[in-house]
Amino acid sequence: MAAAREAKTLIIVVGIVCLLVGFGAGWMVKPAPAPMKLVVIGPWSGAEMESFMPVLGAFAVEKGIMVEYRTYRAEDLATILPAQFKAGKAPADVIFMWAWWIRNNTEHILDISDIIDPADFMPGIVDQVTVDGKVYGAPYTGKVKPGFWYRISFFEEHNLKVPTTWEEFTTLLENISTIDGIVAPIASGDGVGWPLSDVTEHFILTFGGTDLFEGLINGSVSWTSDEVKAIFKDKLVPLLKKGYFSEPDDWTLILENWWEGKHALYFMGSWITGMVDDPTDLGVFSLPGAKAFVFCPDFMFIPKYTKHPDEAKELVKFLSGAEGQTIQVRQGGHIATNLNVELSAYPEVDKKVAQLLQGATAVTDLDDTIGGEFQTTFWDQLKYLWAHPDEWETVLAKIEEKAP
Amino acid sequence: MSQKNTTPLFFLAPAVILIIVFVIYPIVQTLWLSFLSPKGEFVGLRNYAQILRSKEIINSDRFPFECPPWGALIHNAVWIAIHLPLTVFLGLFFAIILKDVKGASIIKSIVFLGMVMPMVVGGLMAKFLFDKDIGIVNVVLRFIGLHSLADISWTYHPETALFATILIGVWMWTGFSMIVYSAALAAIPREYYEAAEIDGASSFRKFIHITLPLLKPATLVVVVMTVLWELKIFDIVYVATGGGPGEASMVLAILMYIKAFVAFNFSEAAVLATLLTLLTLLPAIWIAKTAVGRK
Repeated sequence: MAAAREAKTLIIVVGIVCLLVGFGAGWMVKPAPAPMKLVVIGPWSGAEMESFMPVLGAFAVEKGIMVEYRTYRAEDLATILPAQFKAGKAPADVIFMWAWWIRNNTEHILDISDIIDPADFMPGIVDQVTVDGKVYGAPYTGKVKPGFWYRISFFEEHNLKVPTTWEEFTTLLENISTIDGIVAPIASGDGVGWPLSDVTEHFILTFGGTDLFEGLINGSVSWTSDEVKAIFKDKLVPLLKKGYFSEPDDWTLILENWWEGKHALYFMGSWITGMVDDPTDLGVFSLPGAKAFVFCPDFMFIPKYTKHPDEAKELVKFLSGAEGQTIQVRQGGHIATNLNVELSAYPEVDKKVAQLLQGATAVTDLDDTIGGEFQTTFWDQLKYLWAHPDEWETVLAKIEEKAP
Repeated sequence: MSQKNTTPLFFLAPAVILIIVFVIYPIVQTLWLSFLSPKGEFVGLRNYAQILRSKEIINSDRFPFECPPWGALIHNAVWIAIHLPLTVFLGLFFAIILKDVKGASIIKSIVFLGMVMPMVVGGLMAKFLFDKDIGIVNVVLRFIGLHSLADISWTYHPETALFATILIGVWMWTGFSMIVYSAALAAIPREYYEAAEIDGASSFRKFIHITLPLLKPATLVVVVMTVLWELKIFDIVYVATGGGPGEASMVLAILMYIKAFVAFNFSEAAVLATLLTLLTLLPAIWIAKTAVGRK
């Protein structure tokens, strides 16, 4: 009994002493103020991150503000940010994120209308991050998904020609499938699922047009409508059934297989030019008849809870401006959204992409624009379609269930 | 007297406060959230009805005669139906054959490797082990002539994705049951076997009448812990297949994650969290009752 009382007293005394010592030390020992440093979160790692770092480096030199870059995928940020924002905290001063996510979370995001002039950017780009007339995000550079990439040397070696009609395209696939060492004519990338959705969107855009494409985004067109069904039934599904598309595999691994000649074609965005050993050996063609392409700008925003709003605005202004974007496009694989970037800044291989886009319409990525549960369902159902092309109608019905 | 009563409370208080703040409050909050619409209106059991009627939970159109997706709840049940007996049997098998064997600790360490390995790595390994080009499982299947299974990457096909994740789960979890059974086997007094040998009992009879009955408490622990693990399974499946293709390997925990952090429908996620908690409570209550009964 007495021992318990003594123990209790001892614990209380030790606790009070610890608290006093802790508070005293904290009050007396003032740590030296850390130098101001902005933190940027973006989705790029590896080679893509390497090409982004010079842009941040140029900002640091010009403005004398240190910048730290951290890699987080947008999918991961979507789980982290809500809790952080709820607690009034921000994991970074500038964060790259999906446009739809920025639009849906404006209560936590700084209005940057004072530093972003929509007239400086490609038409309609800034609209994607504008809510009630206020701009909440800034466009960085973007990537185009122009079509099927091939190795010029491979086409020359096997006397293959870029197709100009659908018939020529299917004949090309048939010819490729007879070449020794070819596993499947077209490489199917996988990851979370976006490579399959990219190629599917290209089919929809080419054979359905921009109105149908926009209709699917805004929900005015159903995935089970006759127009969409026709694209799947007559164009995509027959190719899948004939085995022209490979089994999906990690998109970076299959890129190596494609480069080594196990596949002849690979549908990928313009960033591929920064991922191969010899970009000058790259050629690209779109599905015959394509008049529109998906263009995906990267967007950034400043959380309301940043401790350095003015410096963060400086950085956003630099990154979205002509100077920052020029440094980025020089690295290859990126297309500027800022209209003041000179064409001469692009490497040769990106000029081919720009050439392909001449006179074409640029639209936003379908699943990135809708986002949410639709996006994951779309990706997941396309993986199912690749395994079971016969069940394409069930797949479309499932996608429609989650469509806007 | 009053001093005697307050002293235990004083020592209990920190733990109780922590449990209330970090366990009880979130559970109550989650339960309350499950009765609200996404807009915050009270909707009673409507969310539960909606979730339980959903094909994402039980897809009676396809189960059991067509290939998955069969619904997340069914997939969890399939996990239990396949994974539980395999891990219990294999754990027991390894524990028995490695008992009293020189150098057994090395083999046990290798088997236990799966247990100490992060689940995320296990998920990645599933992708590679069942790959049609480089997967060791596919190589073995090809060698024994099962080309229909060998020539596909298991994680990319709805017919095989669920089973690929379950089999990798077996590899990862067998170490746990082996260690529990090894400890239980070591605790059986040698005299029992010596007495049985004097009576002329065969090895099989000794196993049936001595080993198995005395392993019952260990089996109970293995079964309950394994069922809990199977119900909560997330990492392996998320990394290996993401619950696909076409939801063919979807499990309740991933569905809950998607509802919460992809669809941002926290009400439906709370319903799934509550259902998952109730399901995991069943084996927990069972083991608690059994333990009390044994006392």
